[in-house]
Amino acid sequence: MTSMNLSEAEADYFKRFARWKIIVILLTLALILTIAFAVTIGPMQIPPLDVYKIIIKNIPFIGDLVRGGSSSIEEVVVLQVRLPRVLAAAIVGIALAVAGVVLQGLFRNPMADPYLIGISAGASLGASLAIAFGIGLSFFGLIYSIPLMAFVFALGTVLLVYSIARTGQGVQMLTLLLVGIAINSFLLAIMAIVRIVSGDAIHAIMAWLLGSLVASNWSYVQIVLPFVVIGVALIYVFAKDLNIILLGEEQAHHLGVDTERLKMIMLASATLITAAAVSISGIIGFVGLIIPHIARILVGPDHRILIPSSALAGAIVLILCDTIARTIVRPVELPVGIFTSLLGCPFFIYLLRKRKRSVIG
Amino acid sequence: MVTLRISGIDCYYGSIKALDNVAFSVREGEFVGILGPNGSGKTTLLRAISRTLKPRVGTVFLDDTSIYDMENREVAKNVAVVPQETIATFDFTALDIVLMGRTPYIDRFRQESREDLAIVKRVMKLTNTWHFAERLVNELSGGEKQRIIIARALTQEPQLLLLDEPTTHLDISNQLEIMDLIKHLCETKKLLIVAVFHDFNLAARYCDSIILLNDGKIVAVGKSDETLTSENVRKVFSVDTIVKKHPVTGFLHVIPISRPINQQQKSLSVHLICGCGTGSPLMKILKDEGYFVTAGVLNLLDTDQETAQLLKIPITSEAPFSPITEEAHTANLQMISKAKVIVITPTQFGDGNLRNLNAAETALEKGIPTILLEDGSIEERDFTNGKATNYITKLKNNGAITVKNTSELLQFLDKLENKNNKDSHQKKET
Repeated sequence: MTSMNLSEAEADYFKRFARWKIIVILLTLALILTIAFAVTIGPMQIPPLDVYKIIIKNIPFIGDLVRGGSSSIEEVVVLQVRLPRVLAAAIVGIALAVAGVVLQGLFRNPMADPYLIGISAGASLGASLAIAFGIGLSFFGLIYSIPLMAFVFALGTVLLVYSIARTGQGVQMLTLLLVGIAINSFLLAIMAIVRIVSGDAIHAIMAWLLGSLVASNWSYVQIVLPFVVIGVALIYVFAKDLNIILLGEEQAHHLGVDTERLKMIMLASATLITAAAVSISGIIGFVGLIIPHIARILVGPDHRILIPSSALAGAIVLILCDTIARTIVRPVELPVGIFTSLLGCPFFIYLLRKRKRSVIG
Repeated sequence: MVTLRISGIDCYYGSIKALDNVAFSVREGEFVGILGPNGSGKTTLLRAISRTLKPRVGTVFLDDTSIYDMENREVAKNVAVVPQETIATFDFTALDIVLMGRTPYIDRFRQESREDLAIVKRVMKLTNTWHFAERLVNELSGGEKQRIIIARALTQEPQLLLLDEPTTHLDISNQLEIMDLIKHLCETKKLLIVAVFHDFNLAARYCDSIILLNDGKIVAVGKSDETLTSENVRKVFSVDTIVKKHPVTGFLHVIPISRPINQQQKSLSVHLICGCGTGSPLMKILKDEGYFVTAGVLNLLDTDQETAQLLKIPITSEAPFSPITEEAHTANLQMISKAKVIVITPTQFGDGNLRNLNAAETALEKGIPTILLEDGSIEERDFTNGKATNYITKLKNNGAITVKNTSELLQFLDKLENKNNKDSHQKKET
């Protein structure tokens, strides 16, 4: 065995694990601060201290420690409007960012995003049908027409794309990408028809397509949270395999990775969390594309840190964008998708320029 | 003692058969090279051995276990692959990439341990990559990157190392450095190595044995001088080559001449008076053109004599460094009498080979056209105190034709050939 005296490179290598812990702790703190900030913002003026009192009072066990009155209206606003909305934004942000990381890794392409293989088109069609014709699905007796239709259509579309692309030897990522593009445009064509015949519902459809968290409530949070928690956890389990598949499927195979299984689990998880997110938020653009890039610049390409930091950064960014969207032109609420795109687009172009330079240089 | 045994495998891409009953085995510490034209199944064979493409018939045994019965990770602990090229999509450091080689040994929820890093460090020092461990892989040169990939393969601690044209994209110095490294590993670590090559000379230099593939079948197996014969190369690649041991390196050297030209055989037979390599290019050109070529008298070991032997041109020969004897001269005259034209190349003349000019004179007297290929004046090539110059002048006076270069010569021969054909026609008619 070689001597255990670590050289600089080795010491640096082990420092990274400590550094990763610090990054995750800092980002978690930042997320908590962002949530704390976002819940104090809204059309109704409630002093921040009162907001926190209301929230803490409703946490089991420690709630009794807080005394002090606040009106029941304020309580309703904080607990039933602001808090679920901020949490929904966090969950959607996590889902989109992590799905983005997974798809960019699997496709080995920095331009990939969670909507690449048909989720957005499927969800849009499902939601449009629900809005335009009131077609709905019931779920344990509860009716969430729009979210459920979006969810089911999104899953169905990806399943269709996947089964078309699949051959006896497994799934080729390039084929998957091309089939995804084809199905996407096919569904968009159908959606155009739906929009034309939808009459007045077209405004509601447009609003949904731009992405908004305005309808968020606790039941949305409760239904979507398990999908995202399980999906993200499953993805994190395969973080090291995602690193290796960046070298190409054949090399990953030679290093002992079961690439076909990995692709299937990753695609299924990414699809589930994206579809769940989209079903309550509509099509929020750019989060899933850009957050992974920002995280990669900040923490490096290793998925063991990239996944948690993207998740946390995604949550923070989407909460902030949503806070801007619901307050900037009161009393009108703007779709949050507008702000993610407004902020994301220039950044994306910056990235492209940077890539171009590095190609030329 | 580890062995790799491939037991008559058939591999298919869809309905296309890529490998047909391929069988061979490799012992510990043996370096086997696979050569063959594009599409002959070289890479397919590597894919079958690396458990990437399952053969429909037969299997691949490592010792006595079929690798297709082993777990993914178990295979990765025994078999490592170095591909032609690796493209890393995002910014990993060299160290990150090499550490990935430890994947089959590290449980999913564990981080790399100090032992893993120690192995990586040892291997990176061995491959001379440790000093750039923290640089980004995408910023490394082709040679550095390939050494990183070899280091990664070695951290898998494999028994079998598979290489797919590992040096194709590298410059000559990197090629040799990497091949030396691989050869060294093969000898010191007792690795089994199977490598695909495009370069005959690199394969001949480093491999213990060579497998020649064509159309998915093994054409020849064995040591390089048994497999890399010009007959085999011609059969598999349709290229004429000169195969010989290089005088300096002692390694087998395969030099391509050209693709065989299906030139119609011509009726004209040409006798060359040459030497010291002045006739060699001409022999090849005339043969390709379809002429029947003879030459003489040539001393054994003369470059032209060696060329004639390789091209299977009949010659009259004389012992090395000896003057032409009466016997050789007579034989040469006999050979000349069957020729339809004599070509004298701009070779040097000394007392030893002066008789060749005498032979030319005799031929010209008998009416055989004689052509002098001139390059510089005869005086510079005359080491006989003017005797050779006299001969040349006499030949010119008696009707020998002078041409300045090969293309003029070919034009002239072409005219002669046509005339010769017409004459023989007329003869038949009358």
